[in-house]
Amino acid sequence: TAGNRIFHFGHCRVSMSMTEIRLGFTAIKANIQARDPVRTVSILSHPHSLHKFKSSDRCCIAHHLFNFYVDKVFKHCKTEDSYINRKISSIANSFLSMKRKLRQCHEQNKCMCGEESTEKFKQILANYDGLNVTSAAMKSLGELDILLDWME
Amino acid sequence: SGVLCCSLPSPRNVHFESINMKNVLHWSPPEGTGHGVLYKVKYLVYGVGKWIRKPECRNINRTWCDLSSETSDYEDQYYASVKAFLNGMCSDWIETTRFNPLTDTKIDPPMVSVSSTEKSISVILTAPEKWKRSPEGESISLLQVYPGLQYNVSVLNKKTKKRWWFSISNNTLVVPRLEPGTPYCVSAQIRVTTPLLHSALSKEYCIVTLKDKTA
Repeated sequence: TAGNRIFHFGHCRVSMSMTEIRLGFTAIKANIQARDPVRTVSILSHPHSLHKFKSSDRCCIAHHLFNFYVDKVFKHCKTEDSYINRKISSIANSFLSMKRKLRQCHEQNKCMCGEESTEKFKQILANYDGLNVTSAAMKSLGELDILLDWME
Repeated sequence: SGVLCCSLPSPRNVHFESINMKNVLHWSPPEGTGHGVLYKVKYLVYGVGKWIRKPECRNINRTWCDLSSETSDYEDQYYASVKAFLNGMCSDWIETTRFNPLTDTKIDPPMVSVSSTEKSISVILTAPEKWKRSPEGESISLLQVYPGLQYNVSVLNKKTKKRWWFSISNNTLVVPRLEPGTPYCVSAQIRVTTPLLHSALSKEYCIVTLKDKTA
């Protein structure tokens, strides 16, 4: 599809249509972020910025984050706006395919996590669990550009 | 007792205007207020627990505030907020939407330098620099910020009005097999595929290919 690019996560290579995901998110960003009133808490960027993870752990972090978004975020982000919902499900489908592609590589043990990154990912889950599910999911969705910026 | 009641209408259209990551907060005065309105500004790093006042933008009467220094880390995202004061009254704080310097900045066109031989033109392109605190500060090209940065280059034969478009990733282009003694004009644009950003087209830089000595 348009804008497909090969992303290197350690030994794993995943082709992704980043342009499509970006366009989808840009279309809903203002709406989704406006539903998140909590300015002082972030799921992905504090206290640990994704950019501070070890590059050797990129693959495992990507694997965990794709699972996180597919299993804990998209399914809890229903809105009253069908246009927004369609955009969310399109992004979710892209993530589902990325999750599958990365899982194959993960199962070949080429995508291991160091202890430090495992701890940091636990912090992301703790940030998520610190809010009620709908708020946490909506905040995570509103932070998708933080993940996309890190991936690129 | 000096307690200000917040019954003043709020500033409007509070937003960041960003060019090459020079990030300036702008707003419009509250509805129906003339002169004499003063403003205060604060900002927050998204996900970090506290709002921070901007001293240089305290009790100002202008309707902008340069927050480039405070928002220079483009791995973070930000909010900013403005409050208005007039005759002992004040407004509520009014916030921006979440500002992501990486995706929400505008990029200037590239600098273009052109040279020619009899039958070719050489074009060298330079991407703009990211805003920096002071002229002595470290220069960071936007090429470093956006590794996927590309250039679209237009070359126009002024005589025949024929135009070519080139899309290149590196910053030099040589256009061969041109007409000697002919005026050509070059303009260029920056394009970043993800996040999706593109500059305006630069102005035209024109040059005449050398005359054919054998003719």
